[in-house]
Amino acid sequence: MLNLYQLRQQKKDGESGGKSAGSQKRASAAQLRITKDISELNLPKTCKTEFPDEDDLLNFKLIIQPDEGYYKNGRFSFSFKVGPGYPHDAPKVKCETQVYHPNIDLEGNVCLNILREDWKPVLTINSIIYGLQFLFLEPNPEDPLNKEAAEVLQSNKRLFEQNVYKSMRGGYVGNTYFERCLKA
Amino acid sequence: MEDSGSTDWPGRWKHIRRLLERSGPFAHPDFEGSPEILEFMLNNCKVLVIGAGGLGCEILKGLALSGFRNIDVIDMDTVDLSNLNRQFLFRMKDISRDKATVAAEFVNNRVPGCNVIPHFKKIQDYDPSFYRQFHIIICGLDSVIARRWMNGMVLSLLNYEDGVLDPSSIIPMIDGGTEGFKGNARVILPGMTACIDCTLDLFPPQVNFPMCTIAHTPRLPEHCIEYVKVFLWPQEKPFGENVGIDGDDPRHIQWIFEKAQDRADQFNIKGVTYRLTQGVVKRIIPAVASTNAVISAQCVTEAFKLASSCCNPLNNYMVFNDTDGLYTYTYEAEKKEDCPACSQVPQALSFKKDAVLQDLVDHLKNSASLQMREPGITATVNGKNKTLYMQSVEAIRKRTKENLPKRLSELGLTDGQELVVADVTTPNAVIFKLKYEV
Amino acid sequence: MSTQRGSPVVDKEKKYDRQLRLWGDHGQAALEGSAVCLINAGALGTEILKNLCLPGVGAFTIVDGKKVTGEDVGNNFFLEKSSLGMSRGQAAMELLTEMNSDVKGDFIEESADQILETNPQFFKTFSIVIATELQERTLLDLDKLLWENNIPLLVCRSYGMLVYMRLVIQEHTVIESHPDNAFEDLRLDRPFPGLIKFANSLDLDHMSKQEHMHTPYLILLYKFLEKWKSEHQSQIPKNYKEKTAFKNLLRSGVLKNEEGVPLLEENFDEAVAATNSALVPTSIPSSVQEIFNDSCCTNLTSQSSNFWILAHAVKQFTENEGAGALPLRGSIPDMTADSERYIRLQNVYLDQAQQDYASVLGYVQQTLTSLGKPSDSIPEQDVKMFCRNASFLKLVRCRSLSDEYCSDKAKVSDIGMHLENPDSEMAVYVLLRAIDRFHSQYNRFPGDYDNEREADVHKLTSCVSNVIHEWGLHSTVKEELVQEMCRYGAAELHSVAAFLGGCAAQEVIKVITKQFVPVNNTFIYNAVTGASATFQL
Repeated sequence: MLNLYQLRQQKKDGESGGKSAGSQKRASAAQLRITKDISELNLPKTCKTEFPDEDDLLNFKLIIQPDEGYYKNGRFSFSFKVGPGYPHDAPKVKCETQVYHPNIDLEGNVCLNILREDWKPVLTINSIIYGLQFLFLEPNPEDPLNKEAAEVLQSNKRLFEQNVYKSMRGGYVGNTYFERCLKA
Repeated sequence: MEDSGSTDWPGRWKHIRRLLERSGPFAHPDFEGSPEILEFMLNNCKVLVIGAGGLGCEILKGLALSGFRNIDVIDMDTVDLSNLNRQFLFRMKDISRDKATVAAEFVNNRVPGCNVIPHFKKIQDYDPSFYRQFHIIICGLDSVIARRWMNGMVLSLLNYEDGVLDPSSIIPMIDGGTEGFKGNARVILPGMTACIDCTLDLFPPQVNFPMCTIAHTPRLPEHCIEYVKVFLWPQEKPFGENVGIDGDDPRHIQWIFEKAQDRADQFNIKGVTYRLTQGVVKRIIPAVASTNAVISAQCVTEAFKLASSCCNPLNNYMVFNDTDGLYTYTYEAEKKEDCPACSQVPQALSFKKDAVLQDLVDHLKNSASLQMREPGITATVNGKNKTLYMQSVEAIRKRTKENLPKRLSELGLTDGQELVVADVTTPNAVIFKLKYEV
Repeated sequence: MSTQRGSPVVDKEKKYDRQLRLWGDHGQAALEGSAVCLINAGALGTEILKNLCLPGVGAFTIVDGKKVTGEDVGNNFFLEKSSLGMSRGQAAMELLTEMNSDVKGDFIEESADQILETNPQFFKTFSIVIATELQERTLLDLDKLLWENNIPLLVCRSYGMLVYMRLVIQEHTVIESHPDNAFEDLRLDRPFPGLIKFANSLDLDHMSKQEHMHTPYLILLYKFLEKWKSEHQSQIPKNYKEKTAFKNLLRSGVLKNEEGVPLLEENFDEAVAATNSALVPTSIPSSVQEIFNDSCCTNLTSQSSNFWILAHAVKQFTENEGAGALPLRGSIPDMTADSERYIRLQNVYLDQAQQDYASVLGYVQQTLTSLGKPSDSIPEQDVKMFCRNASFLKLVRCRSLSDEYCSDKAKVSDIGMHLENPDSEMAVYVLLRAIDRFHSQYNRFPGDYDNEREADVHKLTSCVSNVIHEWGLHSTVKEELVQEMCRYGAAELHSVAAFLGGCAAQEVIKVITKQFVPVNNTFIYNAVTGASATFQL
């Protein structure tokens, strides 16, 4: 067991050491973990990441370009903000492309369980990326964020498909105007 | 430094002298009672208290009356009316003043000779040279993030010589936490016993309701309040374009409360009240004086034991609950073999002064003991994160590829620099310590 | 900036916000209406009062005949160097009231002994009396007086690294015990008509996928239980094997896609997860059953408290309408569901709870009338709260100190049993009793003087033997503990006193607010190891 009193008496003579331990604080636990996550990113071919600053691994964008399903040929951008609480807390993810999607609203909020209620520290950035990619392959109308889109998907898949296309091409679906987001 | 005799009066330390000057069967085996221990505590021992809130106020009082005089306290907060039911160093007149200063003034006035130095700062505002001066650090925090930051700090202060921990670099960290009638206190000997990150699972995860529930299928009053917070506020911007929610502004809470009531009425949900609204918006944790007193007292007792070795310290985690009778449970939280924070014993990597980054990468790949595949390397240079080389992300690979032919010193890497290396061959990112060969 | 805003009343709500979330406005009102008495303003005493002044206890009075000494100022935050030589009670009172202007403080510069002799009536005016630093003899006199007058007594002691607390209260009843992990009251094993009707109005086979996935799991459990019962002689699953089979039955109800692969239906997952707890048969908890069987419940008199009248009424309910069950709590947990059906289901439970409450109210009124009291003398609000908390009722009866200290009434066999374990905190209790004996013999504490420490170890050891032998036991305590006790020499460490100061204040708050459950009856804490124990002595 540590005997602080004795140690401190010794240390007093050396005036708090000033030993070789660098004056830089070690990278934070969040930083260590995100380094690990990013260096092991294993993206599906439809996804890519953009790091505006390669030294800042905590803030980046994810671009998803689905090659099948309703959203084929669309280009959707998500912002990731990894906070100092990572991985105890989930990263904050927002969709930056306006999209006609049952699980993404027009403000960019995303309804994906592992981003909120089901987040666990064992999950990684990769898990989230796969989750987001899955949302484009299998939009889930049962637990919607954009209720109108969900209702259309449930009642008329053909119409839903048309609406998605209209929105991606740029134009109105109902009263909402969507910016073009088809792959150039 | 003040002479301990000048402010004292007869009998002042009689109580603690009994433990400090008499040996006993439950003391550390090396302990020998002597008056020098009190002298050490009064004149040399430096304690840092993180937080001057519910726990911090109590801890400062306890330290001052236990023979500690050289105390620093850090808090970035100011006094609020809702603190006064437990943070007993503050009065109505102190509202809006900074907690650290008010608390320090109060304790210094009340306890002659005590020298509490306040820091109205964030813990992140200080670097290792500040933290290294203390013998003991006590945390009275309500945030997991701040705890982990402090944990990382005391771990980074550890000194290893050939992989062996230098015990004089250990700064024990005592950590307390409370919530309502529950609390816990623990002693962490960084590098030796379980650290905050070893037991991260013990911290309850934040409650986050599913987005779609908040948006369309609210069932609880909390869902209605979250709806206003997450959806209505950014849409309606009730107090202007860039005005975020301020949980301390009653007008903001009132607005959210009324809108949440409307939403609740629409779904026939009962129970949206002003108090609940405030609780949800600010994520308020209920707090009483008594639990804070209990947990802080235990933290101070542990500091007293550690500083003097007059009794063995808590081994190492105590849980307290007085909802139904009084209950304590003490156990030894286990150090995690693969803890991403404290299992790191930085391995030394020696290079010639003119080595380039490519040499480092080659070494990580080719060394028989490492055999890494695609190491990603980052470092903290001048307080900023720097990605030295990373292959997984094409854009980063392209940009950092240019670093490969550069000399390590050119990249800002100094002798003793820590490098964070992530690779598929290890479960966590690994820390290396760069050494230049002379 | 926020100081000036709002009326004083609103400010009080804000000031006490963090605790109002724990004991509510009614708990706060009880606290503010109470008056506590502290005997002796040492470090321990003032720490207890600090934790009562901060949350806003109504009033306190310090009884203390001593003058402030240098040692007092050394370990007590509510005494100053300038208080040296002053009345200790007065000095402490002034610094304690300075913390919270809502609290009224008073002091009497007399010892507890003097007051017991000259004006024992004095103690009868308090909600509770907290005793510190008292000799055994005084304590027993005080205990006798307070016990006869039904005033709660809390005895506290901080000794070196050890802590002792004893609650003496004849009877304490708790309606709002606020259990940490309350089980749900769902009645799936004995569904009530409203639940049956609502469940039957839903048809899992004829609903949209969306509806299916958002049918509350309680309904799923009900429906699949009905199915199970129809195949198992109306019995619900009982053992592990049956419960596993039932979970599989539940899983078979999950919708499948075109390829026959089951869909993800969260409500079904929730139903499976809740199966074990939902299948625990509805019953009356044994602690509540004990309350029903208590003679205070079975033999009501005009002196009976509202608690017993209410308990009696609920008991009648369980024997009639309730058919062996308590009134329904009327709340359900959150679960995956659409708002509309969740709220309807919530109302189904609420309606039944309301009906049960109405029946109980009837019994209450009958009882009140038969006791010659106005039938509305218990507010309906209280009846409602009682029904909602019926399964969490608590009764605490402590023994008097005079019983504990009387050798033929002492809990000798329990003490002996605990002492068989050399690490039991019971040894601390025995040592504290032995120290009192030491003090009455030598008029000082063991270890008071450095040069007599060795001798005191032997003297204290013989006091320990005497105490144990008087119980007719042959146990021993570890010699190290005796040595350690002599090391302490009655030292009161501030932080150890502060630990108990927090615990004791909370027990006082429990007694005053009648919320949460007070300790029954002796609490020992060892600050060296962090271990604690509770004994009924």
